[in-house]
Amino acid sequence: MLFEKVLYPFDGKKASLEVKPYVLKLKEAGCKEVHLLYVLVPSEWGILAKEEYDCIEKIEALKAAIEEGFVDALLRMFKKMEEVASEFEKEGVKTKVVMIPGELDEVISEYAKKNDVKLVALGITSESLSFFRVGKVLDIIKALDRPILIVKSPEEEG
Amino acid sequence: MPLFKKVLYSTDFSPLAEVALEYVKKLKEAGEEEVVVVHVVDDLSVELPEGTDLIKEKEVYKILPEVDQEYLLDLVERLNSIKELLEKENLKVKTYLKYGNIPKQIVSVADEEKVNLIVMGAHGKGLLTELLLGSVSTDVIREAKCPVLIVKRREE
Repeated sequence: MLFEKVLYPFDGKKASLEVKPYVLKLKEAGCKEVHLLYVLVPSEWGILAKEEYDCIEKIEALKAAIEEGFVDALLRMFKKMEEVASEFEKEGVKTKVVMIPGELDEVISEYAKKNDVKLVALGITSESLSFFRVGKVLDIIKALDRPILIVKSPEEEG
Repeated sequence: MPLFKKVLYSTDFSPLAEVALEYVKKLKEAGEEEVVVVHVVDDLSVELPEGTDLIKEKEVYKILPEVDQEYLLDLVERLNSIKELLEKENLKVKTYLKYGNIPKQIVSVADEEKVNLIVMGAHGKGLLTELLLGSVSTDVIREAKCPVLIVKRREE
């Protein structure tokens, strides 16, 4: 099944939200499961144990290791992801919400392999592909060994 | 929203492009109605104006050596086979055989035809080649106004 399990990297920004209608539409072409993945980039969140944070309790427990304000921000993001996930659930699509620390390209490609994801749906901004900022998005595209749906959003958020 | 209504399928007739074609067929279930099949030629022995339409502008063939003419006729035939295949799936199909810079022409047809999505295969190249020359797929992603579905390997 070509679109059965979709990995939807999510960061709450406009570009990642623009992917949502496409993934929802793929339900008609056989999408049964969507994994929403937030990557905790070390430069933003510090060094965390490399495990899957897939429930509120695991994120709350981080308060022992990192500043409470950071953990609260993570909890808000997790809840936002759960809200998006509920839109898929309403349509009968199974979901998983998970946060994983690490570099974007590594985490996304490893997760896709490990979970035998059939398609990665990636929202990007036009600016992220300019010649001066080719870094991370192209790294993700190159690191992946499976189909990728790239939805480009014209503007970056201010 | 017509998210997948009109799809551009870019093919180089490779096995990977055939895999990408499976995705094009599958998208019919998600509302796809029309497919624009595109192949771009950049390796003729005579240089032609960028963007020459090698299906419509048949008089161009007269200035080409016989070997190029045969090559192009074979490509037109291959495009027609894909057209027939997709028409059997009850999809409306248009074909383009263009001359020029591959990513530039793919994006140009996508703009002209106002497609909702581009589907194409991506062959991994060596890192150095990609750094120096870029790749067709990354250039298409960079320049296209619509979403792009890149097929990177065979579905098991």
